[in-house]
Amino acid sequence: MTSRQYLGLSLVLAALALQPAAARDIASGELLGQNCAACHGTDGREFNEAMPPLAGMETEQFIRAMKDFREGRREGVVMDRIARAYSDAEIEAMAAWFASRPATQYGSEEHE
Amino acid sequence: MSNVSRRAFIKAFGLAAVAGTGLFGASAQAQRRAAAHVVILGGGIGGSTAAKYTRIMNPDVRITLIEQNAAYITCPRSNEVITGHFTLDDLTFDYETIKSRFDVDVIIDRVVGVDPDRREVRTQGGERVSYDRLVVSPGIDFRYEEIEGYTAEVAETRMPHAWKAGPQTLLLKRQLEALPQGGTVLIAPPQNPFRCPPGPYERSSLITEWLAQHNPRAKVLILDPKDRFTKDVPFKKGWERLYGYGTEHSRIEWISGSQGGRVLSVDPERMTVEAENGMHRADLVNIIPPQKAGKLAFDIGLVDQTGWCPVDRATFKSTQLDDIHVIGDSAVCDAMPKSGYSANSHAKLVAHVIRAELSGFDPVVPTWANTCYSLVGSDYGVSISDVFELRDGLIQKVPDSGAVSPVTDNPAQPLLESVYLKNWHRTFVKDVFS
Ligand SMILES: Cc1cc2nc3c(=O)[nH]c(=O)nc-3n(C[C@H](O)[C@H](O)[C@H](O)COP(=O)(O)OP(=O)(O)OC[C@H]3O[C@@H](n4cnc5c(N)ncnc54)[C@H](O)[C@@H]3O)c2cc1C
Repeated sequence: MTSRQYLGLSLVLAALALQPAAARDIASGELLGQNCAACHGTDGREFNEAMPPLAGMETEQFIRAMKDFREGRREGVVMDRIARAYSDAEIEAMAAWFASRPATQYGSEEHE
Repeated sequence: MSNVSRRAFIKAFGLAAVAGTGLFGASAQAQRRAAAHVVILGGGIGGSTAAKYTRIMNPDVRITLIEQNAAYITCPRSNEVITGHFTLDDLTFDYETIKSRFDVDVIIDRVVGVDPDRREVRTQGGERVSYDRLVVSPGIDFRYEEIEGYTAEVAETRMPHAWKAGPQTLLLKRQLEALPQGGTVLIAPPQNPFRCPPGPYERSSLITEWLAQHNPRAKVLILDPKDRFTKDVPFKKGWERLYGYGTEHSRIEWISGSQGGRVLSVDPERMTVEAENGMHRADLVNIIPPQKAGKLAFDIGLVDQTGWCPVDRATFKSTQLDDIHVIGDSAVCDAMPKSGYSANSHAKLVAHVIRAELSGFDPVVPTWANTCYSLVGSDYGVSISDVFELRDGLIQKVPDSGAVSPVTDNPAQPLLESVYLKNWHRTFVKDVFS
């Protein structure tokens, strides 16, 4: 094996290790998360009276909130109904994506 | 790097790491000249979202948006223009941010045709724009011919539909203000599928609320070809609570399809409406006609015998013509309602599909969502909210989830939903236009 091939292979393995288990069956966290943007703002970066921002939220906090809504432990206006649509893997994928978004108002600075 | 490891690398570290550019870096601009050209027709809710998200997902492509009007008026919240809570100006948005923040070429011109073989768009102003991928989101058009006596001209003068926000919305407002004391407002929703399924019932509700204050003996009569309508359970509960629905003194009456609510013809001179259950005279007549895909979709050849545009659901690619995606109200989308939220959701999927195809990524696993809030009164909201998945080739609700607002005895629920609606519109238009 040449060093380039070795590098290629290790990148593949590294990439595979980073994939969540059910990655092939569920939509990406990014696409799932972007579907929340119509209420929570682009990248979850709107700070408002009703729908809270999701950008920058700790993953555990996001996962707990979604599962509490889903399992009826937390009352919602609409989120209890919506959360029932998502599997654990989908919730985790969204959590990771929102955690990677900056927790600042959308449009407050131009894109990097 | 071999193809497979390049793909894996991109997955793990993001496209920017491979391309060596930031989202809007200088080298991305230079690369764009040789890059694929994505052309979007229609700068409404679907098309504008497509322009923005295609850029977010594809830093290196060229994007052109062609829209016939210099500004867009949202239908969402236009029912409140009729009752004076908003002006059309409050609901008007332009294309400046899409141009500047997302580096989209915006052409204000009317598209008159597409040559799918040469992959070229023609405009009324004589421009020819070639594309690698076309995204079409032309909204709706009306089947006036299904109601005898009803025409585009009647809609503009005597019996507005106001189903595209604009001059007819204002005509309806003037007619409401001029309604004689104790007069009758007649509203006729269409058969499914149509744009904004809860819209006619929200409009009826808000007009009823306005009349209770300004014209207390007036009545609202809904003539419906259907036996059920979206959110009918919480809507009717709200009507009971706010307008005495179901009692002798109700301010609002709803005639279902099996009670003969289907409208057959209108006489705009006499202001009469003939339904299956007989003749009605009213002082204000709001006919919302049956609908079909936007005219542009017909001109391009994207429509089938249903009057709508069939698409491969996983990609929203036309099944009629290659390299063309159809999104928004014009597209067949099964269990999803024809809403702005749906159009926005379709657009985001297409942005991902375009990236996957242009960059050699794995096919996209689709997901969609829709939440529609409606007002039964200014401080009384109801909603329907669903997440959708691809099952058996069709867009279907994720089982055991979503659904309409529950009817409860908790007065906070409808009040909160009305607060959510107001929050939603402000956030939504930013997700679409900026
Ligand atoms: C009263 C009412 C209330 C509503 N409330 C809500 C709500 O609360 N929530 C919600 O989600 N949805 C709501 N909707 C529905 C929503 O407005 C539509 O579903 C949405 O606009 C569909 O987006 P679209 O891109 O398919 O069409 P549109 O938004 O109509 O955009 C089509 C665009 O294409 C342009 N166009 C057409 N032909 C050409 C051509 N030949 N050349 C150039 N440009 C062209 C048009 O000018 C237009 O800008 C409401 C609708 C109504 C009527």
